[in-house]
Amino acid sequence: MRLYEFEAKKLFGEFGIPLPESRHVTGKDDALRASEELSFPLVVKSQVLTGGRGKAGGIKTVSNRDELEKSVEELFNLKIKGFPVTSLLIEKALNIDREIYLGITINRAEYKRSVIGSEAGGVEIETVADESPEKIQRIDLEIDDNLYSFQAIRLAGKIGIPSEEMRDFSEIALGLFNFFVSYDAKLAEINPLVLTRDGDLIAADARVSLDDDSLFRHPDLKEMGIERRHEEGELTPREVQAREWGIPYLDLDGDIGMFPGGAGFGIMGNDFIRYFGGRPANFMDSGGGPSPERIARMLILLDENPQVKAIFGARFGGISRCDDFAMGVVKFLKEHGLSKPMVVRMTGNMWQEGVKIFEEARRESPELFGNIEFHGIEVPIEEIAKRAVELAGETK
Amino acid sequence: MAILLSGQSRVIVQGITGSGGSFHTRRMLDYGTRIVAGTSPGKGGQSVHGVPVRNTVVECVEEFGADFSVIFLPAQFAGEAAHEAIYAGIKTVVVVPEHIPIADMMMVRKAAITMGAIVIGGNTAGIITPGEANVGIIPDIAFKPGRIGTVSRSGSLTYYVADTLTRTGYGETTCVGLGGDPVLGSTFDEILREFDGDDATKAVVLVGEIGGIYEERSVPVVKAMTKPVIFMVGGVFAPPGKRMGHAGAIVEGNLGTAQSKIEALNNAGAHHARTFMDIPNILKRLGI
Repeated sequence: MRLYEFEAKKLFGEFGIPLPESRHVTGKDDALRASEELSFPLVVKSQVLTGGRGKAGGIKTVSNRDELEKSVEELFNLKIKGFPVTSLLIEKALNIDREIYLGITINRAEYKRSVIGSEAGGVEIETVADESPEKIQRIDLEIDDNLYSFQAIRLAGKIGIPSEEMRDFSEIALGLFNFFVSYDAKLAEINPLVLTRDGDLIAADARVSLDDDSLFRHPDLKEMGIERRHEEGELTPREVQAREWGIPYLDLDGDIGMFPGGAGFGIMGNDFIRYFGGRPANFMDSGGGPSPERIARMLILLDENPQVKAIFGARFGGISRCDDFAMGVVKFLKEHGLSKPMVVRMTGNMWQEGVKIFEEARRESPELFGNIEFHGIEVPIEEIAKRAVELAGETK
Repeated sequence: MAILLSGQSRVIVQGITGSGGSFHTRRMLDYGTRIVAGTSPGKGGQSVHGVPVRNTVVECVEEFGADFSVIFLPAQFAGEAAHEAIYAGIKTVVVVPEHIPIADMMMVRKAAITMGAIVIGGNTAGIITPGEANVGIIPDIAFKPGRIGTVSRSGSLTYYVADTLTRTGYGETTCVGLGGDPVLGSTFDEILREFDGDDATKAVVLVGEIGGIYEERSVPVVKAMTKPVIFMVGGVFAPPGKRMGHAGAIVEGNLGTAQSKIEALNNAGAHHARTFMDIPNILKRLGI
């Protein structure tokens, strides 16, 4: 979960990391007032939850009030990778001598934390890693280990920090590391860490991604307005709806509505449809143990999507039980109704109960079941996927 | 024979008095799993479906000789519960809840290595040794005792693979769900090695998916295996997934895509199955 730069910097400040003097503003008047408190030249930076804002024109340097006014107007009308700009960080421009990179991340494969430094800051660090890997220096730390000053000093030497600045660098690196551990970060980057002509090290940018699953440990973040958030840009109306309902959902460009169980088959099922010559209209995941309500809503998303010509349903009940699944489908049929052909296979935990629920509902109102083909464990899932491709073809 | 779990395993359920713990304890017992006790701090002395409840794991080990644990607790307590099991001397710990903090699971992994235990999960469906024992949330309908071992990151894909192996008469020795959380207690490596040492297992099916690099990392172990490995990778046509950010991309390089996993495993000599039904066809071709 990404933080805005201004949020990340606020937290960095608490760990003693030196920052440019700045104001966070949400409107033009605030911006002009900020410029009176700081002094020109200033840097005006769009606050968005995505990278590449510099290239997208989201950062402007201004040297007087007129330029500031013009830039602020421009930036508030800008969208960066689908993200509208709703606030700005206005900072005093730095007198840059050199730009350095400092970052910490989780190294999942090795179960370690990696501290990364580079003499080549200010550019995409991935590019540096590809083009000049010798400029990347890395310290891998055990998960229960500290970053010590001697390690940071050594790192400083390897990335060409002058001796006079090494202690400052070490304090910044240790501050960043303490922040990383204290707040359960997945990524914390200062890029660039600027060495000014006056010999000061200042964190010009801040990029942080936190582990969503650890937020419960950090109630103070909630007080700052930082709650679980998503990192995508512009969503389709259906994706917005799905998000409100708490269903992981992505629109794709095909015509087969995917109504799977867990994320694993949600991903693999899409591949199957492609292998058999069809195209999925979406990716979806029911999440563990979905309620009947949620199952019904998953079907609403598909039935109301005009792109969808047929629905491919698969339920292998594990922690998600077949009785809840069947109740959800029946609820959908009764309250909403199915307007498209659907082929579905249901097996796994509580499948007998699930079948019973379907049979009873079908006896009561057979007309609701006209568009559905039901199968159990006796038919391989590949056959169900092929049938869905066929059904989508027939309704073209 | 089987790996990790057998009819002799003395299993405890951590969080046995909760709704999930209680519901799945019933199912596990019905399958014949030897559940010797459960824990729920403050509820020691009670019982659930006839299974005695204790306050701590240590009591379960001392009183009932427990050596295997499954955790049914909310994610924020799972790391602590896993530590409790590991330090009480439990040898295999299955962590069912999802969304466990990354730092917690990394600490758990470290404790497990120190104490010589294996932790599976989080966000795993569990482990089943068909005909003997079933631990976790796995629906047993698709499973029959047999000759093939499976290891998968996804629960639902574990079920579909077993469904296919059972349908075609191969059956399974043991099926292990590694779990879907971003950082896992065990990777493919540990499970593959276990299978390689198991006489009853004639081949292993490995099911991976986009994201992470555990599949790529398993290449040296796959190469060293004396048994064939058949693999599937989900997400060949998936839209590009999220990255952990720039520094994450450095550590993981250009790995993590379905293509990179398929290429790595093909090069390691494993056999690629695109669909479930490809698996029995490949086994036949290999003379199994």
